[in-house]
Amino acid sequence: MDLIRFYVRKLFTVLKNEVIVLPSRVVVVVFFLFLLLLPVFTNNQYTLRIFTLTCIFAILAASWDLLSGFTGQINFGHALFFGVGAYAAAMSNLHVHLPPWASIPLGGLVAVLAGLIIGIPCLRLRGTYLALTTLAFPIILMGFVFAFPDLTGGELGISGIERIARSRVTNYYIVAGLMFGLCTIMWKITDSNTGIIFHAIREDELAVRASGVNTTRYKLLAFCLSGFFAGIAGGLYAHFMRIAGPSTLEVSMSFLVVIWAVFGGVATIYGPVGAVFILFPLLEFLRFWQEYRTLMFACVLIVILLYMPDGLFPWLRDKIETECPRCKIRNIATRTVCRVCSASLE
Amino acid sequence: MKKPLVSIIVIVIVIVGVALIYYATRPPEVVPTIKIGVIGPMQYVQGIGHWNGATMAADEINAAGGIQVGEKKMNIELVQADSNEFINITDATNAMERLITNDKVDFIVGGFRTEAVLPMQDIAMENKKIFIGVGAAHNELCLRVAKDYDTYKYFFRGSPFNSSFLGRTSFIHLGTVAAIMKMTLNIPKIKVAIAAEKAMWTEPMIEAAEGVIPKMGMELVGVWRPSPIATDVTAELSAIQRSGAHIIFTVFSSSVGIPFARQAGELKISAVQVGINVEAQKDGFSQATQEMGNYVATLNTYCRSVEYNELTKPFVDGYVERFGETPTYTADTYTAIKYALAPTIEKAGTLDADALVAILENASYMVPSGKVEYLKDAEGNHLHELRWGPGYLTSLGVQWQDGELKSFWPNKWKAVPEAPEVTYKGIVPYKIPPWVVDAYKQ
Repeated sequence: MDLIRFYVRKLFTVLKNEVIVLPSRVVVVVFFLFLLLLPVFTNNQYTLRIFTLTCIFAILAASWDLLSGFTGQINFGHALFFGVGAYAAAMSNLHVHLPPWASIPLGGLVAVLAGLIIGIPCLRLRGTYLALTTLAFPIILMGFVFAFPDLTGGELGISGIERIARSRVTNYYIVAGLMFGLCTIMWKITDSNTGIIFHAIREDELAVRASGVNTTRYKLLAFCLSGFFAGIAGGLYAHFMRIAGPSTLEVSMSFLVVIWAVFGGVATIYGPVGAVFILFPLLEFLRFWQEYRTLMFACVLIVILLYMPDGLFPWLRDKIETECPRCKIRNIATRTVCRVCSASLE
Repeated sequence: MKKPLVSIIVIVIVIVGVALIYYATRPPEVVPTIKIGVIGPMQYVQGIGHWNGATMAADEINAAGGIQVGEKKMNIELVQADSNEFINITDATNAMERLITNDKVDFIVGGFRTEAVLPMQDIAMENKKIFIGVGAAHNELCLRVAKDYDTYKYFFRGSPFNSSFLGRTSFIHLGTVAAIMKMTLNIPKIKVAIAAEKAMWTEPMIEAAEGVIPKMGMELVGVWRPSPIATDVTAELSAIQRSGAHIIFTVFSSSVGIPFARQAGELKISAVQVGINVEAQKDGFSQATQEMGNYVATLNTYCRSVEYNELTKPFVDGYVERFGETPTYTADTYTAIKYALAPTIEKAGTLDADALVAILENASYMVPSGKVEYLKDAEGNHLHELRWGPGYLTSLGVQWQDGELKSFWPNKWKAVPEAPEVTYKGIVPYKIPPWVVDAYKQ
């Protein structure tokens, strides 16, 4: 009993001293509670479907940010990892009868392999050249899909895949839980020493190499990690939609990921995740105005990027929080002195 | 004495006022309706066809008093859903889920791109909603019914008939035109060039054509694969001209059908075009090809001057009058609602999907494009696949003649030697382009 009381008291202390002091952390807690309690307030299958797909695409967008936002390896063909993950999960489920809990991680691992295959020839390229080369890979894979229709289902794709779970609520909780877990892992990676090297490679690769770091290895690692998370998203998508088709490899899918990440703010992880949670349901909400749905969506994007070029979430965060010039700790914008070192924030 | 009188008058006024306000603002009497979801790419010609056909059917049924469901009459209420399926498959499935869960439709008609229709079909089946597919031709949609009847029995094919039958019909058109060419121009052996757009769906057609053409006693001189969005195909046309082909068997569903026909007309290529050219099915084809598309032939479902039966003319004329264009096969949502769903509901006296499936899968009924019956597979399992052939659905072979779309097939067509001849009202003879006649008469 004392132990429980201790942990409850610790929880309150953490909440009081670490969470409530910063609006961004409060938002994360509220967001977590919202996702956790959503099925309690609505049992609507359509709503749960939208949020399940939102969670899947959030993993995908965050995985792009890990590679392109943090490491600066601009990838315009991220649909490759997603498609590879989807096809690998679908094929292993349909042909080898692996259950979803095995086929989805397998999809992630096959996508890691795809990351290696792309990463190795692309290591010599930078900037626009890298972006254009990566753009070609999903198109190449699509050619492979059409060339071996007996294996890949051709233009129809592979259908009749097993569901993740029979109930929509269970599906939702599994996907939402995985989204939280995987995004936290990605965020932790970017906050680790490896993440710092990723950052450094983006800012000045030559300087990093001059410091004795094997940048090739780290760039390959970024490709593989990003591929793994995107592959997991692909596997989840295939099992949720019960189809893995050429549409998972389409150029539009690659660009959608870039749009989400840029809208939310690159090199943040939370930015692309938040962007998907705004843009994907927004596109559904705009169904009431079908003829102008895409136009309205484009207008929202343009307005946001015009006034918030670094993305929506870094802009919002800068409005509600300030960074202490001395200790670099973030404080709520209304404070005049830092909550840690008492330095003046004005 | 005056005070009570005033009070009574005030009370009466208040009561009358409240009654009037209540009467004026009372919720309207809820009229029970049958909700039908119409799903398709609504920003494209295919989706517009879906919606136009469905609205025409709903308006006609409602004007006639609605559908008799047991004791009561119910009107049809249509719900439009833009699947956006050409661009985004996820969008298409969301639209389907929304139709069923939020709009609470009773039935669904539409769908076009097979890759999108497959997951849409899954959602409809999970919710036990009857889904009549109008647009996607792939066999897999109906094979699923036979493979897992209990799950997929709520799916029926509405239009067109499946891709195998579409291919077979195109080869019959090819054979018909070849026979006319052979007879008229005394050509001992007809040479055929295949021109198919570089798209996945054309692969089985090409493969089949390569096998079938020699068996039909013709010589295959080559296969040309222009891009689906090519704007200049003079290189392919010149090569076809050099190959000595008498017939070009076209397999086009994209915009390449327009430049191909226009440039063939401009270059006066001495080969006739027959096969599938979706652009040539549209009313604006003649204008789009600057009238150079004359004599191009293609497979089609409707033609203004042709009557399959007594239902064709009222439908086609009514559609043309209302929407200013000839209906395409996606407008067969009209058929799905008016001739499949409505009579089945009236017969069953219920909206219960299982009861309706039991009636519809065994039904045989006339539609504006022929007669509908649903096929079973070799083991006797229900496929919910449309029967093709004489007396049932055949489609048409149409040709542009002097700026008008005319139908030349079926003209005294016999599916097998012992079968009766089939000719629809309004069929005209096939015309060989004069420059082709000149080229081979020399």
